[in-house]
Amino acid sequence: MHARDLGLGALLGILGALTGASPIRDTSVRAAGQPAIEAQAAFLKRNCLGCHSQPQKQRGTVPVAFDTLDLSQVSADAKTWEGVVRKMRAGLMPPAGMPRPDRGSHDAFVTWLEGELDRSARLNPNPGRTEPLHRLNRTEYQNAVRDLLDLRIDVGALLPADDASYGFDNIAGVLKLSPTLMERYLAAAQKISRAAVGTAPPFPAVDYFRVADDLAQDDRLPGQLFGTRGGTTIHYTFPMDAYYTIRVELARDLNEQVPIYAEPQQLEVSIDGERVQLFTLPGVAGPAPAPAQEPGSDNADDAPAGPKADSGPPPAAAQRGGSGPAVRPPAGRGGGGRGNRQGQELRNRADREWEVRVPVKAGARDVQVAFVKQTSALPETVRLPFLRPYPAGVNIAEQRTGAYLRSVEIAGPYDPTGAEQSPSRDRIFVCRPERAPGARPATALAGRAAAQSRGGAASIDANDASCARTIFRALARRAYRRPVVDADIQPMLTFYQEGRQDGGFDAGIERGLRRLLVSPEFLLRIESDLPGTAAGRPYRISDVDLASRLSFFLWSSIPDEELLKLAEQKRLGEAAVLEQQVGRMIGDPRFAAFIERFAGQWLFLDNLAATIPVQQSFPDFDDTLRQAFRRETELFFESVIREDRSALDLLRADYTFVNERLARHYGIANVKGSRFRRVELGPDSSRGGLLGQGSILTVTSYPDRTSPVVRGKWILENLLGVPPPAPPPNIPELKPPTFAAPVLSMRERIAQHRKSPTCASCHNMMDPLGLALENFDGIGRWRALDESGAPIDAAGVMPDGTRFDGPAGLKRALLGSDRFVTTLTEKLMTFALGRGVEYYDAPAIRAIVRESAGTEYRLSSLIRGVVQSAPFRSRRASGG
Amino acid sequence: MIITRLALPRRTFLRGVGTALALPLLDAMVPALTALAATPASPARRLGFVYMPNGVAKNSSGIDYWTPRGEGQGYELSQILTPLAPFRDRMVVVSGLDHNQAETGNDGASGDHTRGTSSWLTGVHPKRTEGADVRNGTSADQVAASVLGRETAMPSLELGIDLNFLAGQCENSYSCAYLNTLAWTSPTTPLPAENNPRVVFERLFGDGGTAARRAAQARQNRSMLDSVLDDFARLQRRLGPSDRVVLTEYVDSVREVERRIQTVEHRAETELPTLDRPKGVPERFDEHVKLMYELQWLSYRADITRVTTFMLGRELNFRTYPEIGITEGHHGLSHHADRPEQIAKYAKLGVHQAQLFAGFLQKLQDTPEGDGTLLDHSLFLYGAGLSNPNTHAHVDLPLLVVGGRLEGGRHLVSTGQVPMTNLLLTLLDKVGVHADTLGDSTGRLEIGPLAGV
Repeated sequence: MHARDLGLGALLGILGALTGASPIRDTSVRAAGQPAIEAQAAFLKRNCLGCHSQPQKQRGTVPVAFDTLDLSQVSADAKTWEGVVRKMRAGLMPPAGMPRPDRGSHDAFVTWLEGELDRSARLNPNPGRTEPLHRLNRTEYQNAVRDLLDLRIDVGALLPADDASYGFDNIAGVLKLSPTLMERYLAAAQKISRAAVGTAPPFPAVDYFRVADDLAQDDRLPGQLFGTRGGTTIHYTFPMDAYYTIRVELARDLNEQVPIYAEPQQLEVSIDGERVQLFTLPGVAGPAPAPAQEPGSDNADDAPAGPKADSGPPPAAAQRGGSGPAVRPPAGRGGGGRGNRQGQELRNRADREWEVRVPVKAGARDVQVAFVKQTSALPETVRLPFLRPYPAGVNIAEQRTGAYLRSVEIAGPYDPTGAEQSPSRDRIFVCRPERAPGARPATALAGRAAAQSRGGAASIDANDASCARTIFRALARRAYRRPVVDADIQPMLTFYQEGRQDGGFDAGIERGLRRLLVSPEFLLRIESDLPGTAAGRPYRISDVDLASRLSFFLWSSIPDEELLKLAEQKRLGEAAVLEQQVGRMIGDPRFAAFIERFAGQWLFLDNLAATIPVQQSFPDFDDTLRQAFRRETELFFESVIREDRSALDLLRADYTFVNERLARHYGIANVKGSRFRRVELGPDSSRGGLLGQGSILTVTSYPDRTSPVVRGKWILENLLGVPPPAPPPNIPELKPPTFAAPVLSMRERIAQHRKSPTCASCHNMMDPLGLALENFDGIGRWRALDESGAPIDAAGVMPDGTRFDGPAGLKRALLGSDRFVTTLTEKLMTFALGRGVEYYDAPAIRAIVRESAGTEYRLSSLIRGVVQSAPFRSRRASGG
Repeated sequence: MIITRLALPRRTFLRGVGTALALPLLDAMVPALTALAATPASPARRLGFVYMPNGVAKNSSGIDYWTPRGEGQGYELSQILTPLAPFRDRMVVVSGLDHNQAETGNDGASGDHTRGTSSWLTGVHPKRTEGADVRNGTSADQVAASVLGRETAMPSLELGIDLNFLAGQCENSYSCAYLNTLAWTSPTTPLPAENNPRVVFERLFGDGGTAARRAAQARQNRSMLDSVLDDFARLQRRLGPSDRVVLTEYVDSVREVERRIQTVEHRAETELPTLDRPKGVPERFDEHVKLMYELQWLSYRADITRVTTFMLGRELNFRTYPEIGITEGHHGLSHHADRPEQIAKYAKLGVHQAQLFAGFLQKLQDTPEGDGTLLDHSLFLYGAGLSNPNTHAHVDLPLLVVGGRLEGGRHLVSTGQVPMTNLLLTLLDKVGVHADTLGDSTGRLEIGPLAGV
């Protein structure tokens, strides 16, 4: 029977029975296990005591001595013993080079030890204690605003980045509330409430979107309109019905010059798929192009970059923005003349007036900016020999043959006419105050208020207040993630009143919403001890708290209505209901947050954004590839969950997801276009699984070469759960190679690490794991020779001495134990709880792994296991 | 003092400027509204810290592109310091100071980059943890801010260049909090450093708007915070006694913001100009750094803050600098393995950083204020938490003090074990902030007088 099968009542029953009776328990344990204990003691003596003895410990050569520990009472030193289990399961002890016990007795000892630890954990459960206050990190804040108000915000511009611990940025202990942050929350609340209600800001906002310099723009990009190339798509929330200006800017070369292009370059701006403007940069070859005109434009005198209204004649106001003098090449000189200074200046100014002013209705829309794909015979896409589009160094020639987009700027609202309807308003205004004289008040409460009042104004006040109360009750319930009472919404109503006096009903709602968004109950997840729980004792968390744990774990956001309702009915905790809800949540689009945040951090995908492989070594690397790397791994991770596959498939899968760019990179034939699709790789392909993916291979490399050490460390930390100890202080420096030395292979170079005994103890573990991946270069391309020209020897050794060869061998070796699944479960647990995994969590983690073995370690079953586990469902009261 | 709003037509306001062009425009909108400007003969009242990640180009056996040759007044500027030559007469290069607390200590293992950052302004050995028990010391800038910041809208401004979203364990069981910022307002509260110029700008100037509007805004915010304090009081009753401790820290944060708003309210009658805002994070390092310096200049100029910390990068970062020919990752290159050509290459970055800093100093120098210039009233510490990066040395740290009316022109070499915190205490003295001790300080380091103080 596992801890998780045991009802808390039963657990507490056992505890109650045993409280104050510990001598009896000890006797019984000892009596039952005496012969077994002697056998284990013999094992320790034979295999471990040689080094792990008290004298050695006192000398500082080993951290642990076994001769002072009592095997008959492992619970007394559970932390130490869990460390022993971890090291032995990962094959780290006894260390390589020392005599090893046979597999059978090794496993028998660890299994016995785990059994003892699990048994004592059942008798004395410790679910751990999450922090009482857990500030939402900025992803959670952003998603909470989305789910609360149906509003997309760019949280990066509103809140500072969060500090991470244990590899994740949702760790409660380090998510503090500094004055700086409080200030930012105030400012954010104002912007968000304004945008949600649809009030004009004091100044039009200007949002700037920069396209990565190294994004290739020669072909159609994912999500762009057909017949276009390059550019970008911006999911933009227009806060009001109003005019907005969209400004675009061309990319420059390293000298900030607009290069010369043979053909005219046409840049199209569209909103939700409809063209609103076309800008043209004249080419050098042909005659001056006719001003770009919209079909049906009634304003032939307008400049080429003239504004276009999407309905009716352009309002007078529209003339103010957008149009400037057309940039025409000087007469008779084509496009300004190659090398001509004046021409260059003209080109540089060409996009100065590229701005269009358009009326847009409030709501989220796609603003797309892309070049019209040339139909001319000029081969835009052929740019040999390298794929990187942009010279990253001063001495490298410009390689773009067509214009690129550098940035898009959206400004507004101008001349707003309000926001009659927007998704946010629909969400917020669940009622409207009634205005007709003698109208029935919306609620009985307001009715009483209205009855007490005399004149019509008072009735309107009461009417409005009643509606405001309804609005804030609904908002607060979602925002606070719990049922609310009148006292909860009183602060919002106070601010509503103020705002209403200043600017009417909507202004009141906006002010109240602003207050809600700075409430500690919105910004912090609060878990308080169950009243009546004895100090230091475990208790089962409430269904309402459980709803939040679930939603922040699987959606990085607040619970939805269904979760809240089930929690209020106290049904969420029922095993079947919980099971069903987890399934529903995994199937929900909001689960994308889990893939992005969990996989993004566990696998270091987040680091891709800041990874800039150097051009000299990797001339083909560009942003298109960078984006493809991340997409591949996310799609892959998602497929393993959604197709209910085994977590082991993360390492051993025989398929992946590629688009043309990535397929070329991997040498996979017959994949065309920017769309990602699933491709079969065949059994035992080196490419299959996470360890063959460009994302991981790149973030574990240096900008100019591979690093077997970094890769090996990554495997130890993230796949085997045994991070190598920190390097000792005062590391002796490696001897620099002399000039006469022959060029060494990577294997030869890092062999130096293992000559010194101080370095060898860890590098013996890291390096051979990383060396097995040497066939993948610093950006994950397959290669047979390394930088020095030597054939790659991809032989590797596991920490336990198992030898293998190449990526396929490495994968088989990693799958040879349950360390990978255990490590993944630990990472899931860390992310789920927002705290580090401690030794007392190990029994629960073992139980999850054991249970999931029955379903071939399905990834979904690991997630379900975490959700059903004691650390997730329970919490230790403070003190004790 | 009322400043008329610049009558910029909206077209100008909207005009997009490439990031390279953004700087002069920021310049054009100088709000001449500082309180200091009105006070003649104000002494140094600003304190700034600029931090170079991953040490400087030197090794332990004689190659050194940072340390000047010779001592005292006749010293010879090193290659890295050459761009700072115009400020030589008001600069003191300080050699020989150590950060003992950044050493391994009883921790048993490395984590030198983390400790280099976190102890730089605290002189405290940070607690090795990733949990809620994160603990460092209060940093010198925050000690300064607690006094100098009383009269300004923002007591201090924390700026950085790198994003700190990078995944992975930070360094050997230290929380990333230790690596992400220099500023600790208390031993348990790090202040986040901001890297986005646009966000910094909005923090400095808010949404803009009329004075009346901003005053109303401040009033609203203050009453919101009052009301939030009520929420915390209610929460207090829901939590157990031990959990309330955490809450107290939160309440302190809210009160501090309240205090700041009150400070601003008194000054809200000043009209802000219509401003062009920076748009986002420039892609190039030099543009980004320039813009961040620009914002510091602006915040000094408008007297929005008097204390700044600025990290030219996070320790361990792997940024490349192709524009100056450095294509290896920053951290990797700093582990130069004693190869002379690697160290020489790394020195190029040091020079580049110094050039950018010199540009900032020049700008402060060129801005009149009261009886002198902005630089006359600002003091800076420029340096790193590692000296020889290859060995993670925390001894003989690269440091220099510049600005104010410092009687400079000297290279000061300390011998024996003198903690860097002694210098920090002296800097605090110079800006009129008295502290008895700071971290592991053992006294004060005499660096020479500020003229006129």
